This record gives sequence, C-alpha cells and structure tokens, in this order.
Amino acid sequence: MESNVTNYNNLTPAQTLDKKTVHKMVWMSTMLQASFNYERMQAAGWLWAILPGLEKIHTDKDDLSISMQHNLEFFNCHTYTVTFVMGLVLSLEQQKADINTIRSVRVAAMGPLGGIGDALIWFTLMPITAGITANMTIAGSIFGPILYFIIIFGAQMGLRYWLFNWSYSLGKNAIGAITKYAKEFTHAASMIGVFVVGALKCNYGNTALGMMIPNGTMIDEAGNEVANFINVQGLLDGILPALIPLALTLMCYFLIKKKNWRPTQLIALLLAIGIVGCAFGLWAGDAGQIVDSDNDGIYDSKLPQGYESLVPVPWHD
Amino acid sequence: MELLQILMLAIATFIFAIDQFSLTEVIYRPIVACPIIGLILGDLQTGLLVGGTYELMMVGNMPVGGAQPPNAVLGGVVAMVFAIKADMGIDAALGTAVIFSVFGQYAVTLTFTVMSGLMAKADQAAIKASKKGIRNVNMLSMLLLGTLFALMSILAYVGGSAAAKPLQEFAANFSWVMGGLDAAGKMMKYVGFAILLKIMLSNDLWGIYLAGFAAAALLGNVDATRGATLVLVAFIGVALAINNFVTAVQIRNNGSNSGGMSDGI
Repeated sequence: MESNVTNYNNLTPAQTLDKKTVHKMVWMSTMLQASFNYERMQAAGWLWAILPGLEKIHTDKDDLSISMQHNLEFFNCHTYTVTFVMGLVLSLEQQKADINTIRSVRVAAMGPLGGIGDALIWFTLMPITAGITANMTIAGSIFGPILYFIIIFGAQMGLRYWLFNWSYSLGKNAIGAITKYAKEFTHAASMIGVFVVGALKCNYGNTALGMMIPNGTMIDEAGNEVANFINVQGLLDGILPALIPLALTLMCYFLIKKKNWRPTQLIALLLAIGIVGCAFGLWAGDAGQIVDSDNDGIYDSKLPQGYESLVPVPWHD
Repeated sequence: MELLQILMLAIATFIFAIDQFSLTEVIYRPIVACPIIGLILGDLQTGLLVGGTYELMMVGNMPVGGAQPPNAVLGGVVAMVFAIKADMGIDAALGTAVIFSVFGQYAVTLTFTVMSGLMAKADQAAIKASKKGIRNVNMLSMLLLGTLFALMSILAYVGGSAAAKPLQEFAANFSWVMGGLDAAGKMMKYVGFAILLKIMLSNDLWGIYLAGFAAAALLGNVDATRGATLVLVAFIGVALAINNFVTAVQIRNNGSNSGGMSDGI
C-alpha cells in the first residue's frame, strides 16, 4: 500500500500492444471475478486479466510492481463491458501517464460501465434470450440450450473485443492533448475519481439497521388493531440517507490514514461488528433462509427480518 | 457406475460454481446446466424440462450490483438429482432443492469473505511483481468455491431428500451467524473505498467527495433514475472536471503570455 509514487521510472512510451497480447487479455477478461471478494471485489481478477499487457509495457521490474500495486485497488465493473476500461487504462499505462491519472480514469470509468452493462445484458439480452429458448427447451429440444449458449456467449465475446479496440484507440488518440497539460489533466481526472467514489459509497453501501422497536398498537386501514413498530433505520434516513455507510467508510479511512491500520485488521473488525451486531439483532442481514410458513411442506417465504438473533431482544422479531 | 456418476456430477458442479462468476458465465444457467446434469444422470428429457422451467423462474433474478440471489447453480443441480434419482415431480424437486440453494449462497458468502482476507497476499505478490502470485490467489478462490459446491452436490446425491431436513435445522439455528456474515460482507467494501480515498482524497477535494455522495443519494432514490444512477453521476462528474480543466489551462496560458494583456486580470 505504499502508493506514494506518482510516476514510473521509465517514462519512454511503450510500443503499441500486439494483436496476440490484446487477444490474450480479452479472453482473460472472462476471469474478472475469479477471486471476487467483499473488500476489493474484482481487483485481483482485473489485475490478472491486464497482466499480459502490463508485462509488455513495463520492462522495468520496479515499474511493473508499481503498476500491479495500484491496479489491485478496489475495482467493480460489469464483466462484459470491462474491456472498455481495460483499453483506456492500458493506453494510459503505455504512455506512462501519471499514476494518479490512471487511477482516476479507472475509477471514473468502472461505475458507469458497470451500470450500462447491467442494463444491457442482465435486464435486456438475458431475459429476451431466455424467453425465446426456454419454451423450446421445455418442449424437449436440445437446440434450446445450444441456441441460448451461442447467442449470449457470442454476443459477450463480440462486445468484449469491440469495446477493447474502441477504447484503446480512443485513449491513444487523446493522449497527445493530455500530455501537454498533464498537471491540469491529473487534477481534473482526480476530481471525477473522487466524485465517483463518493457516489459509489452511496450507491453500493447498503448497510442498514434492522431494528424494529415495538411501540404499542395502531388501527390499520381495514380497521383492525395491529402492532406498531418504530423503524430505526427510517429515522436515520431522515437525518441523512446512507449515513451508516458514510460513517463506516470514514472510520476505515481514519484508521488507515491516521492509525496505520492494515486492510486485514479492518476486515476482522468489520466481521466482528457484523456478527456480534446480528447476535443482538442490530443489523439488517439476510441469512438467505426460506421457511415453510404454513407447514405444508413447501418453503414459501423469507424470515421476516432476514435471520433470528441469538439473544432474544425486543426490537428483533 | 454409481461412483462414476457421482464423480461426473461433482466435476460438473465444480465447473458450474466457477462459471457463475467467471469463464463463460453462460453454462451455469439452469437452461444449459440442467440438461448437462441430465446427461450425466442418464435422463436428458427431464434435464431439458427442469432447465427450461427453472430458467424462466430465474429471469429477472440476476446477479446485479454485488447482491446474491438464492443460488441458481445448486438449486438446479440438486433439483435434477431429486427429480431423477428420487423420482420426484418437478415442482417438488425444485421446492426441496431450495434449502441446498440456500447453502450454495452460504458457500458464496464464505468464499467472498475468506478472499477479502487473502487480498493481503495479492498485495505482496504485486510488490514482488509476481505474476504467479496473482494467478495463485485467483486459482485458490476458484478452487475453494468449486470444492464447496461439489461437496454439496455429492451430499444431495448420497443423502437424497432426507438430507434437506437436518440442513434446514442447522440453517435455522445459526441464521444469526449467516445474517451477520451477510451484514459484515456488505461492510467490507468500505475498506476498499477507504484505501482509494487514502490515495485520492487531497484536502481540496472533500467537497467534491461529498457532492458525489449527494448526487448518488438523490439519483439513487428516484424510481426513474435509479437504474442509471452511476451513468448520470458520471455526467455530472465529467462536467465538473472539464470545467476545471479548461479553467486551469486558461490560467496557465494567460500566465505564460507575459506582456500583451497586462490589464491586471
């Protein structure tokens, strides 16, 4: 994590990546989520995928190490559209751009592309393809699954190649204008980067309290007397939405920056906060369990608050 | 023959488990996976029927934004085992398989948590510029996830639907641990954000950081814009940055134009 270095040692731009290396990286991009984890999400898979290019670009071993370290920071994109970010980042690495610039461009590009990828693939291509082929399959035709595979796999590989080539040439063309005003560009790029990190936290940060404090009874619309609860998270949202994600991120930030905590220590701390909290029914968590609410042998509903607390507490049913 | 079936079932499940996040990201879908399991267990027609039915059930239940749906891989594999080996109807097979799909989800949560701790290993590999180190971290993760899934497919084959009840009871007794892991798992990305901030956040950018937070809070809570939150946020961010860039370039050019416009601006 000693990423105070802002420039590569060897600042001579590297040669344009050859077809074979590009080929390799586009196929490796399918391994983006190989080591998906909660802390940095796709970071290690991302680095693995672009390594063939980085090795070609950074012949200096120290530079390769610097590049690998900053490419292991938090990363989350869509697995099909990630090649666009790859092309951009590699064109910048190739020109030996300022490291803060590369980082900012990477962070700024991954979020929106993730959103576009989700909309395009998960919400559009997959449901339509499933609609066409599922009925063929149910009717007993082996061509249903085969067609499904060809359409989706073909579409994603085509998309991956096209996006990589497009963004790689975009990046190479833009670089001339950028290098003339490198200092100004770096600052502007880090503005987008920080802006997007702020947005990511609000967007992906979904930690919430699960406490429902019983508060007498009330009369519902049908005139029945029903139990009334105070939703603590609802009160917090009234003060500031996503207050807990903001507070926890700032806590991690200060522990890392001022107290020199290592990420592993923070993970242990958060694990303890999460599990101990759920023993007392504080957090909204989902054990994923599906229960048989009317004892007819069919598992049909989720636990009302996602899990049962270890210690019986009044705010957790 | 039985042993060969179990072995092939375990290998197929191992591959599907990895494929749900990496590789093709297609063959793990029930519509492809169930017919393959059907072939292994010797009943392709049931495989096609379960696969098509389950796929339609799953549409709209996609892995978006890091959230995990009840696991489709184990749901499909185990439903196939029950439908063919225990001769259950498709609805009953899918219903009984649900508890296994819950455990599939646990295996995913566990892997994602354990791998958070192993990112420190990846950091060390990066410092040494070791490609092998990075590869090994990725391989280890896939091995862990694949093995957990393969073991559960074997359990379903050997234990049959009788294995569902103890699993259900275990899940009920320890639901606070899994709920806690889920809550803690969601918190871990804050560590990733904090690392980015440590490097990127200079003192003059605190306002921009909070502005990004505010923009997402607004756009993410309106139905019409929720799906496009990050795209719209990027539009605003780009506008801010271009404006900043142009102004900075102008100031520099004016500064270097000594002479000429010396009107004191």
